[in-house]
Amino acid sequence: MGTIKRGFLNAFRNSIRTISIVFILAVSISMALVMLMSLKTVQAKIDNVKSSIGNIVTVSPAGVRGFEGGGELLTDQKASDISAIPNVASVTKTLSDRLRKNGSTIPTGGPQSQNNTIANNTTNLDSSISPGSFGNRQRANENGGSTSLGTFSVPIMLTGVSDLSSVTGLSSLGISKFDILSGNKIDSNSSDNLAMIGTALAAKNNLSVGSTFLAYGQTITVTGIFDAGSEFANATIVMPIKTVQNLSGQAGAINTVIVEVNSIDNVSAVQTAIKDKLGSTVDVSSQQDASNQAIAPLQNIKNISFYSLVGALVAGSIIIFLTMVMIVRERRREIGVLKAIGASNFIIATQFTVESLVLTLISSVVGMILGLALSNPILSVLVNNAVSSNQTTAGGGTGRQLLRLGAGFGNSAGNALRNLHTNVGAEIILYGLGAAVLVAILGSAIPAFIISKIRPAEVLRSE
Amino acid sequence: MLKIMSVSKKFKSGDSFVNAVDNISLEVADGTFAAIVGKSGSGKTTLLSLLGALDRPTSGQILVDDRDICRLGDRKLIDYRRNKIGFVFQGYNLVPNLTAIENVMLPMEFAGLKKTERKKRAARLLKEVGITEEKFNRKPTRLSGGEQQRVAIARALSNKPSLILADEPTGNLDSATGKVIVKLLENLAKTENTTIVAVTHDESISKDAKQTFRLRDGKLVSTSS
Repeated sequence: MGTIKRGFLNAFRNSIRTISIVFILAVSISMALVMLMSLKTVQAKIDNVKSSIGNIVTVSPAGVRGFEGGGELLTDQKASDISAIPNVASVTKTLSDRLRKNGSTIPTGGPQSQNNTIANNTTNLDSSISPGSFGNRQRANENGGSTSLGTFSVPIMLTGVSDLSSVTGLSSLGISKFDILSGNKIDSNSSDNLAMIGTALAAKNNLSVGSTFLAYGQTITVTGIFDAGSEFANATIVMPIKTVQNLSGQAGAINTVIVEVNSIDNVSAVQTAIKDKLGSTVDVSSQQDASNQAIAPLQNIKNISFYSLVGALVAGSIIIFLTMVMIVRERRREIGVLKAIGASNFIIATQFTVESLVLTLISSVVGMILGLALSNPILSVLVNNAVSSNQTTAGGGTGRQLLRLGAGFGNSAGNALRNLHTNVGAEIILYGLGAAVLVAILGSAIPAFIISKIRPAEVLRSE
Repeated sequence: MLKIMSVSKKFKSGDSFVNAVDNISLEVADGTFAAIVGKSGSGKTTLLSLLGALDRPTSGQILVDDRDICRLGDRKLIDYRRNKIGFVFQGYNLVPNLTAIENVMLPMEFAGLKKTERKKRAARLLKEVGITEEKFNRKPTRLSGGEQQRVAIARALSNKPSLILADEPTGNLDSATGKVIVKLLENLAKTENTTIVAVTHDESISKDAKQTFRLRDGKLVSTSS
């Protein structure tokens, strides 16, 4: 029987003790694995949330809210100032307007009799979006409560863009994709009367590439039909910014500057720099703050997981260390006898290390099974605690607002928290086994030293 | 030939030193069954541990086959214990979770013998000391005291040592079994030409021994042969 086999069999020498040690160590190892899985899951979610939020900063006139006015439009000079700020990768200028169907009524806030029609920003196109009960209610509210709304139809959103090389410039429309279904992208530097129209608007008005329509009293040629992934975006028109500036009589005007920052980590710095440069004339927004708020509970879980992982590993090492010290002390005489009959310290230490490894590996297998069973319930408890803690810290209700806020940007914090599930891959199992081997070796190191100090003469003296 | 020359061993006890073995010199010829006798605390076990290279003397020389074992380094001491010495303990000290034959094979494993050879030789030795084959695979707890001591003697013989050191080999046995064990050791000394040094309180062993060394307070007070 070799040293390794002897060490292996020694692990089962006292079945009650073996079961006890395996159970205690398995709990410790399962906790370490659960925490490792939680840590990795949460880290993956944090990265996911960060990447979904992106590295975009939006600059708009101070106080502006949709088409309800507020602030003075931005200028090319301000856009140039923004491009000069460090870490700004690109700047896209946009100018938006709303086109109304010829003859469509517009409420003025007075009685229906005061409704007027708009002369300039008109079009012959029908919107592909119907007002619906929500839109009709809004019109009625604006119209003194009257339910008779004349010939009102939903305005068509028109966006002039200075750069169409990516979807970044269209982010103000909430666009996450921009697929050309037919025709070509327009040249965003052009000032010709060219337009791309969303697929829903094209279908509504039987438009195709080469068709024309009227806007601002002029003829516009359709160069492309696009699919932007939502009914709203597919009901819009995209044109070069200069064309929109010319047609709407707002030369040089910009209502939104979309700033792409070179890294997510620099978003806050760029935001601050823009604010410093342009002062109170602009509103600067990004989803960084929301992201920080959203990620805060995840960071808490990550910290708890990390410290618990370290604690569980330390506890595991201490358990195996104390176990091996106990075993070595108990077998002191046997060690002395082995030395007396010719065993070297190395042989005996190897035998005890193998014993420690066997105990730890069995505990690891049991710990992994326990860890698999417990990982999601424990992560769920951590999530609930982290959210509750966040709500308390924020002064009540903020946690829920946070969840709602998070839900607004795709892989939201709320969803991130609700949908957190641990995954066990080969990597986790390898980490677990590696940790077990490490724990076994660390736990055996001092007992091995004790073994080397046992003098075989003690065996004779203790007879 | 075992030759001890002016060997002393001091232990620290509080602020003073105790001479456990005090300037002892003696010689035991090859193939001799020798006994070291004396009361408790006379230094006989300390002397035995010095002979077995389990401890180092404070001064003096111990020559085994003309080699001073007191000057051996740690690695050579391990080789010496593996190949030149066999130990028989009062409490048998068999490894409890190994069978009788596995206990006898253990020193041979440390010496690097192949498994088949280890097994063959262990079986032969067990038969020689009177263990029947059906008991080869029994663990020590399922053997009587006498049987355990026989297994311990077989283990001591496994690497064909030139010197067997026995510490109270009959101490845990009844007198009849004790006599059988002493007879076994005596025969081994003759047939295997192995030197046997037994430490004992048992006067009957000293009667059977070819040489008897009597110790008192760490000093050799008489030698008889």
